[in-house]
Amino acid sequence: MCELFAMSAGHHYTAHEYLPPFADRARENISGWGIGFFRNGQVHIEKSCEGIFTGDMMHDSFSRLARVIDSRIILSHIRCPKSGHQKESHAQPINDWFLDHNWLFIFKGESPKLLAYQSHRPIMREELLAARVFEFVRDEMESGLANRPRQSLYQVMALGCKKLITNYPGRYTFFMANETVLFAFFNTDQVLTYQDPTAVGELLLVTTVSGGLTDDQDNWSAFSQKDPARGQVLIISGADLLYQGHL
Amino acid sequence: MCDLFALSASKNYTAAASLPLFAVRGRANVHGWGIGFFRNNLPVVEKSGEKVFTDGRLHSSFQRLARVVDSPTIVAHIRYKSSGLVDECHAHPFTLDFWGQSWIFAHNGKAPAIEPYLSRRHPVLEAKSDSARALEFLRDFFMETEPRRASTPFILVLKEALRSLLREYPGEYNFLLTNGRVLWAFTNHRQFLLLKGSKKLEEAMLLTTIDEGLSAEDWKKIVAKPGSAGKLLLIAGGDLLHLQDLDAAPLP
Repeated sequence: MCELFAMSAGHHYTAHEYLPPFADRARENISGWGIGFFRNGQVHIEKSCEGIFTGDMMHDSFSRLARVIDSRIILSHIRCPKSGHQKESHAQPINDWFLDHNWLFIFKGESPKLLAYQSHRPIMREELLAARVFEFVRDEMESGLANRPRQSLYQVMALGCKKLITNYPGRYTFFMANETVLFAFFNTDQVLTYQDPTAVGELLLVTTVSGGLTDDQDNWSAFSQKDPARGQVLIISGADLLYQGHL
Repeated sequence: MCDLFALSASKNYTAAASLPLFAVRGRANVHGWGIGFFRNNLPVVEKSGEKVFTDGRLHSSFQRLARVVDSPTIVAHIRYKSSGLVDECHAHPFTLDFWGQSWIFAHNGKAPAIEPYLSRRHPVLEAKSDSARALEFLRDFFMETEPRRASTPFILVLKEALRSLLREYPGEYNFLLTNGRVLWAFTNHRQFLLLKGSKKLEEAMLLTTIDEGLSAEDWKKIVAKPGSAGKLLLIAGGDLLHLQDLDAAPLP
């Protein structure tokens, strides 16, 4: 299964302490990796279809990027062999512009029927489940706000996610971020958050890696979801978990 | 009655068009004004105890600041005192640190019940007004819940704080609270008007308490549902992220 990582901070930060352990704990996924971040409101994505590890060696580019990239929001994805073809265009994050923002998106999960979803504005033509999930959620948010302009972004996203898991039952976990806010949705398993006790208020980590990324387990909070017919949305900005919504 | 203004965007903005209109439409408030924003995560507040509008002219400093202040989040307040003296120290916004960050707070309303509130924490604000005490109350509540920070969404603590505030110190509260990235707005007695993508003013998300908004455009009016204890809004990056009614406070 793929693994997801996000870091949200109050100011520009590097994730050099956290991206290498993320890669290490997700090293069984050999089909590619990607890191996405924001700089001056623009999205930057570096990705590869190569394994995150070769033997005991972390991918050279990944380890260098982990040291160098600084941003308020950093997303990373490590890809498992089950997620389609091993080519760079299938690595994540993927991105799109909608609702006045550049958005980064990473996904893990399974939903065979959703591959048939046809958006009026496909992000890519290739058969990639992450792209179909992103398109579905984006389309629902856009139409939701167009039809009900008094609703909040959370409301249209929650309605879109509810429709996603109702119309296309499956296992979904995704992180979606613009330059200010990170949304995490999941209807299965768990998402973990972490605040470094030595730097409270500096940054918040979010990951799907079971057990977290550091040895101080007490500082990880697990948000679990057992019923895939429901789901949860976390809203994060800066180093704060702002909201936890249950569908 | 005081009036409130906020601008929220994902990038730096000046409020050169909307802030002067806010001052003109809120000119009945004659007891001071203030503008707050963040620079490098630190709060910056410029305020005055003078009238924002005198003899048909905007206060020159307010007008100049409106042209110059450049930030993703800008908060402004025009004061009509219901509590405290008329001077710069009693003008809003106020700032305090809690939950690991600095906050800017501006309030309108009347809550005499909270004026005697004595904070157990430091610093305390110099102003002797219901608004200053209300911010200290929120700060104290958040500091007491700090150990829950890692696992508790901010909104849960804020709702607990508001229920506690309304139960212990009933009154009219209508405030803006921002750390420069997100803006929380609460009201239990007035409305907020929101506009995004204005053709006449800034395209960013604009918020005001002025009844008719700041332009002849389709301002969304947001009020608390009848029977609720108030309306809570979360705004970030130019988007209304969330809004919900606060349940009436349970009996202690």
